[in-house]
Amino acid sequence: MLKVSRLTKRFGGIIAVNDVSFEVKKGEIVGLIGPNGAGKSTLINLISGFYMPDKGSIEFNGKEITKSKMYERAKMGIARTFQNPRLVSNMTALMNVIYAVLGSERGKKISLVEAYGEAMYYLDLFGLLKKRDIVVSDLPIYELRLLELARALALQPKLLLIDEAMAGLNPAEAESVSRLINRIREEFDLTIIWVEHVLKILMKSVERIIVMHYGKLLADGFPEEVVKKPEVVEAYVGEERV
Amino acid sequence: MEIKFEPRRGRLVIHAFGRKYDWIIEPRYWRNPVIGFLIWLSLPLIVTLVASLINIKPVALISTLIFANILIIVSIPLVLQIIGTGRVNFGPHFFVALGGYTAALLSKNFGISPILTLPVSFIIGLLIGLALSPITIISRGVYFVLITLLLPFILAELAYWRSDIFGAETGIPGVEVMVHTGNFMNDLIIYFYISFLIGFLYLLIVDRVLRSRYGFLMGVINEDEDVAAAYGIDVNRIKVIVFTFTSGAMAVAGWFLAHYQGSFTGPAWLTPAFLILVLLTTTLGGKGAIYGVVISGYVIAMLREVTRTTFGELSTVALFLILLILLYLLREGFWGLYRKRRYREYEPSIRIRRKT
Repeated sequence: MLKVSRLTKRFGGIIAVNDVSFEVKKGEIVGLIGPNGAGKSTLINLISGFYMPDKGSIEFNGKEITKSKMYERAKMGIARTFQNPRLVSNMTALMNVIYAVLGSERGKKISLVEAYGEAMYYLDLFGLLKKRDIVVSDLPIYELRLLELARALALQPKLLLIDEAMAGLNPAEAESVSRLINRIREEFDLTIIWVEHVLKILMKSVERIIVMHYGKLLADGFPEEVVKKPEVVEAYVGEERV
Repeated sequence: MEIKFEPRRGRLVIHAFGRKYDWIIEPRYWRNPVIGFLIWLSLPLIVTLVASLINIKPVALISTLIFANILIIVSIPLVLQIIGTGRVNFGPHFFVALGGYTAALLSKNFGISPILTLPVSFIIGLLIGLALSPITIISRGVYFVLITLLLPFILAELAYWRSDIFGAETGIPGVEVMVHTGNFMNDLIIYFYISFLIGFLYLLIVDRVLRSRYGFLMGVINEDEDVAAAYGIDVNRIKVIVFTFTSGAMAVAGWFLAHYQGSFTGPAWLTPAFLILVLLTTTLGGKGAIYGVVISGYVIAMLREVTRTTFGELSTVALFLILLILLYLLREGFWGLYRKRRYREYEPSIRIRRKT
């Protein structure tokens, strides 16, 4: 489904992503881990079109999308969440999801009333129906994370890029978000790339882990095998006990 | 024909002409847009009555109403532009002058009638708007402000440089006027209704756009362009379309001025003072509130007239001081005052129209 080849992104003298290549198959759920500054979020930004790469190419469903803009990729079916939830803060939760329904590929074909109905469905899916009329800036971080996921799902994506959905959540909330992610993956037949720091939860949820370090791809494989690799352990010393 | 009034709890039922009409007594449920429209429509009548009561000539007051309409004609497209591009254009008077010069030059040099100069002025505004629209993509913040602020200055300098064409501060005289009934007062009232029609048409169009799916999407662009792109919205396309069409709409104000005054003097409208009045009209209207713009347009035009007749040389200082105080006191503009009275309102709202 997704093929990333020799992807490189520089910010001045810093190489945030350095010659990274990997493939993700349809229906896979892939964890992307690494210490702070490893280039995980930059990679997500490159795949979603938030940044343009300096070198390398990205293919999605057999189509070259390296030069495609962010909105084009969203319409193709690549949705994302942000490390710090980015929503339309002065609008209600419901309006935020309606925007996504309207922005999706089929958004032009449906009426506002239909968009309203669909948005309600996605809010219900994430247990946010009662919060639909609350302005986003008044929602706590847990609900913001859920709303971002609802917003992303409303785009009816094929590939969902999740950037640290657990950040700022307590263990119970993180567990709940994890369960929801796995549920939507099954229900909507999604392919997911999930950047996360909370390894315990990620290990339980993903089928494959890609480890990044200093912008390079350090390891790629089954979670249990990858976290035991000496280079991965070394990269994480002082960062996180695996 | 019998007309029967039947008072009920909270409302009055009127039986007339074989039909039944409901009038909700509670003012907050009144059909405010209809009342607003009727007041706007009857303003010349109200002003004439007031003028006769306080024994002053109504000419100045009707001219003030026309000036208010001009502010509204410029400000309504500007509000849409601000929402759709997420940027504040500091050069709306540039497009007014473009429309004015186009109409004046075509009328004076080629004898083209106002009916034909109208679409040409609109198209010129549209094309120049389209040519300039990339600035909404490449610049933001203070850079966008500076670029748009420079445009009217450049046009004013061009008007001085080629005074043989543009007439500099004397303007382009001999422009065909739209109305000439032989009675000055009647002419003014007709001009009021022409400008009213344009303003009202803009209000309807912009209201429709803002309630459409594109209006919804503009709301996201206004908030955060990156988020909008993540929502699958083609941000640049919407910004270009909005900037282009609103530029054309602003140029129509210039067309009206040229054929209302019978001349067009660019440097008189390319001043910072006019820009400030337009920006104050949009700001005091309330954030993104097109109906508020109508109220603020009239308040500002009236204040301008009152300070002009009361404070003499200090009229501009007095006007801007009053507007400064209003800006301080009315953080949410005139529309904010109105909305506070409303029982419950979500913005933006969806109207579900059921087929009967």
